[in-house]
Amino acid sequence: MTAPLILDKIVKGYQDGKEYQEILSKVSLSVEKGQTTAVIGPSGSGKSTFLSVAGALLSPDSGAVIINGQSIAGFSAKQLANIRLNQIGYIFQAANLVPYLTVKEQLKLVIEMNRNWSKDAQLRVKEALGDVGLGERLNAYPHQLSGGEKQRVAIARAFMNDPDIILADEPTANLDQARSHEIVRLIAKEAKEKNKAAILVTHDEKLLEYCSVVYTIEAGELVKRT
Amino acid sequence: MFALAIKEIRFFKLKYSLIGFILFLLASLVFIVSGLAGGLSLNNVAMLENSHANHFFLSEDAENRLDQSGYIVDDLLEALPREGGWEPFLIQNYRLDADSSETKLAVTMMPVDPNSFLYPGVIEGTDLSDSEAIEIVVDQSMKVDGVTIGDTLYEEDNDLSFEVIGFTEGQTYRHAPVAYLAETAFYSLELTPHTVANAIVIETEETVLQAAITGAFDEGVWVGKADVIDGVPGHSSEQMSLNMMIFFLIVIAVFVLAAFFYILTIQKLNQFGVLKALGASNQFLIGATLLQVLTLTTVSLILAIGFTYFITTILPEGMPFDFNSGLLVQYSVTMLAVSLIGALLSAIKIVKIDPQQAIGRVE
Ligand SMILES: Nc1ncnc2c1ncn2[C@@H]1O[C@H](COP(=O)(O)OP(=O)(O)OP(=O)(O)O)[C@@H](O)[C@H]1O
Ligand SMILES: [Mg+2]
Repeated sequence: MTAPLILDKIVKGYQDGKEYQEILSKVSLSVEKGQTTAVIGPSGSGKSTFLSVAGALLSPDSGAVIINGQSIAGFSAKQLANIRLNQIGYIFQAANLVPYLTVKEQLKLVIEMNRNWSKDAQLRVKEALGDVGLGERLNAYPHQLSGGEKQRVAIARAFMNDPDIILADEPTANLDQARSHEIVRLIAKEAKEKNKAAILVTHDEKLLEYCSVVYTIEAGELVKRT
Repeated sequence: MFALAIKEIRFFKLKYSLIGFILFLLASLVFIVSGLAGGLSLNNVAMLENSHANHFFLSEDAENRLDQSGYIVDDLLEALPREGGWEPFLIQNYRLDADSSETKLAVTMMPVDPNSFLYPGVIEGTDLSDSEAIEIVVDQSMKVDGVTIGDTLYEEDNDLSFEVIGFTEGQTYRHAPVAYLAETAFYSLELTPHTVANAIVIETEETVLQAAITGAFDEGVWVGKADVIDGVPGHSSEQMSLNMMIFFLIVIAVFVLAAFFYILTIQKLNQFGVLKALGASNQFLIGATLLQVLTLTTVSLILAIGFTYFITTILPEGMPFDFNSGLLVQYSVTMLAVSLIGALLSAIKIVKIDPQQAIGRVE
């Protein structure tokens, strides 16, 4: 069984005025199902850049992103959107929920974008929200939720289309210590139970206990911590 | 897609009602101005629009104006009987005194053969007959001036009294009601020694008849009804200025709506970026945006149509207003297209959003 996400010798930099600045140099990584991989590094080290490349949001300058055995190099915007919709689940730093939709409708939306709405999906929504402990708040709007609750909705949303890969960029940055632990534990638990390959970007060392593998970004390269 | 559009409108009620309200006002204004344009136009030329006279023989130098054209038709009457299908078309401006009105009432007096195609018939009262009684059938708009059947209208210059025996409808010319008088009665007054006409008119095109009529006079041209209507003084300029107003209203609508929808989209760029990162296609986001605009515009248009009908019921009597369903559909479709064009401008913005911005940044 191949890993759902393989990064092979990824190079990515930004053109900053006249200067080219390389952020990622030859990053290779493969994440396994059921595992939560942590990537840590100081601010500005390229964690978000790395996750954008891994998540088909940014194309690398060279190297290959292989999602479920398929290289996405040369994919059209529409194909990439489709990959993101079906094979990748995102959890952002801010929950980024749609302000005018209830908790239930947030999840319904990503299913609808996939034109997959059915009675069965209705059940899946309820179940997913139950899993993240929001079974009682189905009809609440985002402004009625706490930061931690919003992030739980975002987690449930990331898992909704049953993707193989879950990517989270500092999902706990806006939360207090206790809430952060809760959220990371939840992501790791869901990844394990649902057999997903998860990558968690963070700069909080205390959250690493929930992750199976830990990498640090140092000078544009991923170094495995043992 | 549709659910998304509706839910957003429901959630941000105030914002969307305000935009809907602007849309409603613009649409109402377009409807009402075009209603007035139609009304004024009818008021000016309704008699011609509704007339069965379709081809007019006018003096060459009259520039299609009935009041600039004139013929003595005695010779023609002898050479070519009226049974052949032609009628003398004669209009005269009279100012009449009525008991019910302090000011003189302007009417367009039109002597006709009551049995000819020029006479429209009554909707109320008695029809004209071939008698010498000085009786008239007038347009019902004179009711606004208090004129009723049985009234006598007095013409000072020639010391004439006309008795109103019936009302007809849709017969106004140059913003004045038309008064029909039997030809027999008119000539019995001996106001003119000849049989006169502004124009010779026929109902349907007939080459032989038309050639015969042309031959009977020294000069003249055949002109279609549409050109005669355009020749009515003030008609084209009046219509042009009103149509200009409608045109500018629509141009204003384009800009106002495009600006509104653009701002709405700008406000949501971040959210669209997130949805794109989650896998929403451009098609989905643009579709939702257009559906939203479509819903908003449709509701506003329906309200505007209702409002316009309400306005027509409270307009003072005698105010010219004509708004038919043809125009309604035409302007509704225009307004709909205008708002969709406005919304499409922001679609460009949606396509350009980079989903990557969703990662690694706070809201
Ligand atoms: N669009 C861009 N254009 C130019 N430079 C960029 C762009 N995006 C990121 N960078 C630069 O790339 C470097 C890495 O940025 P990135 O956002 O990946 O860091 P990060 O590790 O996620 O930091 P943080 O912990 O603060 O989120 C930074 O120096 C940043 O200034
Ligand atoms: Mg970052």
